[in-house]
Amino acid sequence: MNKQWAIIRAIGFVTYKEWAAFRSHMLASLFVGPVLFLVQVFIWQAMFVGKETINGLTFEQMLTYYGVVTLIHYITFDFADWNLQMLVRSGKFVTFALRPLPHWVFALAQKLGHRTLALGFEVLPVLLLFVLLFQVQLVPVAPGWAVVSILLSFLMSFMINYCVGLTAFWLVRAEGVRRVFLLLKDVSAGVFLPLSFFPEVVQKILFFLPFQFITYLPTRVFIGDYELAGIRLSIAEAVGLQALAVAVTAALMLLMYRAALKRFTGVGV
Amino acid sequence: MRVKLAEMMAYRSHFILSVLLLIVGDLVVPLVTLLVYRSGASFPGWTLHEALLVQAVFVLAKGIAFPFFFGMVGTTLSQVREGTFDLLLLRPRPVMFMSMLSGFDPDDFGRLVSGSVLFAFAMQGIVIPGGAAWVQFSLLFIASIAILFSMSLFLSGILFRWVGSSRVFDIFDAVSGFGMYPGTIFSKALQNVFTYILPIGLIAFVPASALLGREGWGSLWTLASAAALVLLGIVYWNRMLKNYTSAGG
Repeated sequence: MNKQWAIIRAIGFVTYKEWAAFRSHMLASLFVGPVLFLVQVFIWQAMFVGKETINGLTFEQMLTYYGVVTLIHYITFDFADWNLQMLVRSGKFVTFALRPLPHWVFALAQKLGHRTLALGFEVLPVLLLFVLLFQVQLVPVAPGWAVVSILLSFLMSFMINYCVGLTAFWLVRAEGVRRVFLLLKDVSAGVFLPLSFFPEVVQKILFFLPFQFITYLPTRVFIGDYELAGIRLSIAEAVGLQALAVAVTAALMLLMYRAALKRFTGVGV
Repeated sequence: MRVKLAEMMAYRSHFILSVLLLIVGDLVVPLVTLLVYRSGASFPGWTLHEALLVQAVFVLAKGIAFPFFFGMVGTTLSQVREGTFDLLLLRPRPVMFMSMLSGFDPDDFGRLVSGSVLFAFAMQGIVIPGGAAWVQFSLLFIASIAILFSMSLFLSGILFRWVGSSRVFDIFDAVSGFGMYPGTIFSKALQNVFTYILPIGLIAFVPASALLGREGWGSLWTLASAAALVLLGIVYWNRMLKNYTSAGG
């Protein structure tokens, strides 16, 4: 166990150092995040003229929603899907198939290293900009539950993206599938609009899909109030449901991973 | 262009999915607008169809500018990083033209489908404009494509120095976000910025306003502004090209 953890730490550290060489790539978020947020500020400022609440959310809660969505995006950002598909298509996956470590562990370790770097270069500076410049309320109602929920969201985001990446073992060119899926994922996760704005029937479907656990649920946990499709949950119940969804998705990912390895053919394998 | 099309046809399912993605992707912002209006909120002074018209014009402009011009941003990004941009320098045609051709992307024509559907839907809810409004709109639409062309030049030009950074797409998406909504929702200062300094507002808001009869003929000055921006873009791109260090440094 200790050996495994040491390997994960080593991979994470190497990824951290590798990406530290491309700091400007991450620093672009200091411009992109606040600019996208500023658009939302103007949109909702106009929408809230003469209104106290829209769909049960006040103007301040709406800004907090988009602020938290942005931060969660930076914390959980993932490109395991793109990476895995590239490795499969180019044949480079063969080097991973021969290693005494499942590739998904390697990919997760890489994500840990990459996002640790992002904490300093993206998350913290953007958080400060939101609080100081836009005066957004970014203190969670229940900090402990919010941290657990964001960590679960981190895992959920990785596992869903990894499953998308695994489709490369069945499809010749999976780029199109990947992009369609990721767009639907963002819409269904509440990145563009809180899911409570969708029609009742759609909300019921979204409740049973895994995507709400990436963005919508942790954001509502952060705000301290969860409701979707008319179902109200306490913060503890919402995080419990999220943990269950993460466990189910993990099992699904492992099943897909095993099936994918059986399909894999490469030079010398 | 023919080679590009043949290349796409080799992976037909990928091509179809990419077009589908662009159609669905472009409809996300209008879907958000629709859902927000359904909840009883609205942009002051703008009906749902009028707000959607702004977004439709934006998507239509992208439907023309992206397949022809914006592909050069992606190809410059990858070719400069790999050092294969040298191949374009060796060809007996202007480098910018060759870069544009190599970036030709037929997938992006899908945006014309989503733009047209959205445009037709938006037009159903507004009074059909007269001939003069259509003429004014057509001229302003040319200006909006020219502005997008100049943006593609600025974005690909910066990649000669900021090698391999795909964040230029994020920067474009973030900044262009201002252009997808009625300009009147922004503060006066920002409205001026988006009209005179960074003319994002001229891409969709001004042409759509012309079609709605909210702009006078005076707005045609944007044609001159767009032409100046294209010239500036060309000069900038050629100056940045001199920074290209090739694979050998």
